[in-house]
Amino acid sequence: MAGNFWQSSHFHEWLLERQDLIRERHADLQILSEEEYQKLMIFFANFIQILGEQLKVKQQVISTAIVYFKRFYVRNSLKCIDPLLMAPTCIFLASKVEEFGVISNSRLISICQTVVKNKFGFAFPEFPYRINHILECEFYLLELMDCCLIIYHPYRPLISYTADIKEMKDLKDNKDSKDDLLNTAWSVVNDAYRTDIPLLYPPHMIAIACLHMGCVISGRDFKQWFAELNVDLDKVLEITRHILNLYELWKNFDDKKEVPALLAKMPKPKIQPSSECQNIIVDNLELPYWAYYSDMGLRDFTESNYSSYGT
Amino acid sequence: MLKRISSVSFLSLFCFVCYCFNFILTLYCSLLPLMQKYEKLEKIGEGTYGTVFKGKNRETQEIVALKRVRLDDDDEGVPSSALREICLLKELRHRNIVRLCDVLHSEKKLTLVFEHCDQDLKKYFDSLNGEIDPDVVKSFFYQLLRGLEFCHKNNVLHRDLKPQNLLINKNGELKLADFGLARAFGIPVRCYSAEVVTLWYRPPDVLFGAKLYTTSIDMWSAGCIFAELANAGRPLFPGSDVEDQLKRIFKLLGTPTEETWPGVATLPDYKPFPMYHPTTSFSSVVPKLNSKGRDLLQKLLVCNPSHRLSAEEAMSHAFFNDLSPAIKNLA
Repeated sequence: MAGNFWQSSHFHEWLLERQDLIRERHADLQILSEEEYQKLMIFFANFIQILGEQLKVKQQVISTAIVYFKRFYVRNSLKCIDPLLMAPTCIFLASKVEEFGVISNSRLISICQTVVKNKFGFAFPEFPYRINHILECEFYLLELMDCCLIIYHPYRPLISYTADIKEMKDLKDNKDSKDDLLNTAWSVVNDAYRTDIPLLYPPHMIAIACLHMGCVISGRDFKQWFAELNVDLDKVLEITRHILNLYELWKNFDDKKEVPALLAKMPKPKIQPSSECQNIIVDNLELPYWAYYSDMGLRDFTESNYSSYGT
Repeated sequence: MLKRISSVSFLSLFCFVCYCFNFILTLYCSLLPLMQKYEKLEKIGEGTYGTVFKGKNRETQEIVALKRVRLDDDDEGVPSSALREICLLKELRHRNIVRLCDVLHSEKKLTLVFEHCDQDLKKYFDSLNGEIDPDVVKSFFYQLLRGLEFCHKNNVLHRDLKPQNLLINKNGELKLADFGLARAFGIPVRCYSAEVVTLWYRPPDVLFGAKLYTTSIDMWSAGCIFAELANAGRPLFPGSDVEDQLKRIFKLLGTPTEETWPGVATLPDYKPFPMYHPTTSFSSVVPKLNSKGRDLLQKLLVCNPSHRLSAEEAMSHAFFNDLSPAIKNLA
């Protein structure tokens, strides 16, 4: 759906402030340092990326899934739900929302198992979850996001800006140089999804910042084009700084070495889920009452319903 | 001595009262979310994946419609159709589109809370006894087009427009409902199979199996509903099956040819039909509609989908020139 971003739930409810992130993550940052937290987020975004590639969904589905993942952990501690379960759940939901179709249960689980075994063996012994865990987790995810499921990405604005640059400044070399610029900027956007940027800035700003970096990387000068833009360039610079910080962090991040220690340190539910477990274990006060009382017979909804988010 | 005792006991009494008050307060707060926010009233419809009830918000006394989505333990998790409606209505806010107020979660169930409307257009037709005020026709159809125009502008196709999916209020407002979902406010489902009802509003390209739907699919349905409005609820093409449906359409509009509709013969389910030539004029089909209205209707009911008017074009048609500004300017 290509609706209007300025009227969307993404714009109204899910553009957060830096302060929000610090406040919401406070509990986790008692245990992990800011840098360790960021590294974990990079690691899990990579995990979602590889999972999505193996499931052969398009990049937009992967990016949506990454944003869902970030939204969940902005509002909840890492100990509420194991990120290893949340990651495939985000892909599962994103694929439906982006009209990519329902991923079959058995395929999802078997790909999770293969990916964990072949590529993430250094981090996890196995993928312990089954489809009922994912379906239950999907429910928590939906609720936490208050059903705001449509995500606007920088890809579409990026394509139109590149086309615009080309028109304005007739790239005399050849067609390749424009595609080159688009490709470079596109990869920068994908990298930006490893950070908090998608939670903090509207997609067109991210696109401009990534395009700018793309120009710098491929050594092209479109100062004129950028100068004529009617956007807050300070914000764009902020995004650029964010991405540069990411690259700095990433350069010195050896995931095979560091991740096992980070995962060991990561806040976890008090009881570890095992493959025999019927329900995912959640350890969190913000989740609704039925997360705790679900076995106490409060099953009929309209008999005992409530709203977790007032109107 | 006495004084001291009493002051001590007063103090302890005070503490006790505080304690009790505190206890009651905590109890109340912890129970608050468990109490129903909405009181369930009577059932108003049965959809394809859940039941619709009338409900009342206990705090505000507001009347709402509660649509329950059952989550079966199947492959899909939350059904795609429910997700589609949730996503869409979360983003589309317009006075001619039914408002999604809330989504309630409980184990194995989702409940969508919609604003409540008095009735659907089908029920309204039933109450008319064959007479309708031309101004009402104009106002309802304009609002239908405005809701559609908003959907189409946001790249959303309704795909299932029919009188049962149009809700109306006593104050004359009309709202599109049921986005790719259960027919919530329907007349008892048993009367017709769901498919037959939808068939009446299906355009010839879709009946011939066209897969690439565009906004033109909704414009055909809008045309059919326009004629039905003008005739106070008599459906325009009440076909009994696909073939009968197409026959009824071609008898009125003429059988399309490769000239009037290039590529028609290549549609997946294309079947040649006898060459009907339009004999009945539109003035006998919609006798109560004025000439401008007939012109608008004829521009919507075009077999070739690429020649149908868009919602935006239809809204600026001369038929609406004398529409009351009060309706026109409600945005």
